[in-house]
Amino acid sequence: MKDKILTFVTIGIIALMGNWIGYNVSPTEALPGMMIIVAVTILGFFLAKIIPIKLPIVIWVSMLALLITTPIFPGNESIIKVTEQVNFMALATPILAYAGLSFGKDLKEFKKLGWRIVVISLVVYTGTFLLSSLVAEIGFRLTGKFH
Amino acid sequence: MQENSLRNWKIHLFVLILVCVTEFIGVKTLNIGIGAIALFPMLYALIIGAIISLPSLKILKTKEMNIAANILGISFMLFVAKLGMLMGPSLPKIFEAGISLGLQEVGHFAGTILLGLPIALLLGMKREAVGATFSIDREPNLAIIAEKYGSDSPEGRGALGVYVCGTLFGALYLSVLASVMAQTGWFHPISLAMGAGVGSGSMMAAMSGALAVIFPESAKDIAIFAGAANLITTILGTYICVFFSLPFTNYLYKKLEPILGRKAKQDQMKNI
Repeated sequence: MKDKILTFVTIGIIALMGNWIGYNVSPTEALPGMMIIVAVTILGFFLAKIIPIKLPIVIWVSMLALLITTPIFPGNESIIKVTEQVNFMALATPILAYAGLSFGKDLKEFKKLGWRIVVISLVVYTGTFLLSSLVAEIGFRLTGKFH
Repeated sequence: MQENSLRNWKIHLFVLILVCVTEFIGVKTLNIGIGAIALFPMLYALIIGAIISLPSLKILKTKEMNIAANILGISFMLFVAKLGMLMGPSLPKIFEAGISLGLQEVGHFAGTILLGLPIALLLGMKREAVGATFSIDREPNLAIIAEKYGSDSPEGRGALGVYVCGTLFGALYLSVLASVMAQTGWFHPISLAMGAGVGSGSMMAAMSGALAVIFPESAKDIAIFAGAANLITTILGTYICVFFSLPFTNYLYKKLEPILGRKAKQDQMKNI
């Protein structure tokens, strides 16, 4: 757990730099928001550990973040205001950098695969994205929402 | 997971440099004739990071790449927290889109099978096709296949193959596809954002990034609805895969294999 906390803090600092360079928000301005984001993440991990219901951690972290920003939560407006200083794209850049740096480890496995499975994997990803977008679009057009 | 499996300053330092450099380059669009492809910091970070990790360059050891993968697994939670905080104030808007948001999940789960299985059979795949196309084959899905068939079965090999391809190229491919789909003008940005909630963190991040570059005025809505759809896909994922996706793929395999499978065999005969 100590290592996880240290990792979140490190990524938080890296994202603050990216937020500064890419979105012109100075680290001092974005720091309170980032601290809340890191705290919610750590608390989510903690909840997943102590609550005996087995649910993926993603759900605990999401629910917690949702809860503190809904109007029923006292002080939600100031939480929203400070966390808005952290751009969501700035938080995603370090994540994909870690993804990139782990690329080489699966290359050996990849070279063993045939071309068919490579084609099919692209088809599978296309299918899930395309069909869900299509259903959402049809839903919106039928209900008249967002159009 | 070992306690020290997250501790590696070399990896963090590389990420820091990658973030600073790529955020400095900023957003660009590349015109490829049929439309523009969104290029943005997280995509550069993914590609440059991948080049750094190439085994032939000997910059990173396999152990270090494994640590990067471990960090990736938990780093996504910060992104999830941020998305959650965007969703909180927008709950009424999310509920307003409730019908579409609920229905599009059918597309997420059925899309892999309906598009993937027939093509896999046409390409001449057998039982591998079931494992490959019953889901997007991320870790929880692999566990389901391993439990039912064993990881060394044809189904297991199919699932693992898609898993490996997805880990390597999923985010990159889907972000390019999202750029292309966004420019057809057929879809509302929010429809595509919901489509981006495929149930994998890095893929969803890369797709919503591409969409946010192409529809800058809807960037926040894109993050909110991609996040909401991704959350629902994750919550329902395991149950739907066990009770719907896998039985349905098997059912479809039985129906389609004699038609499409044999055809593939005849084609092969002709080729010989």
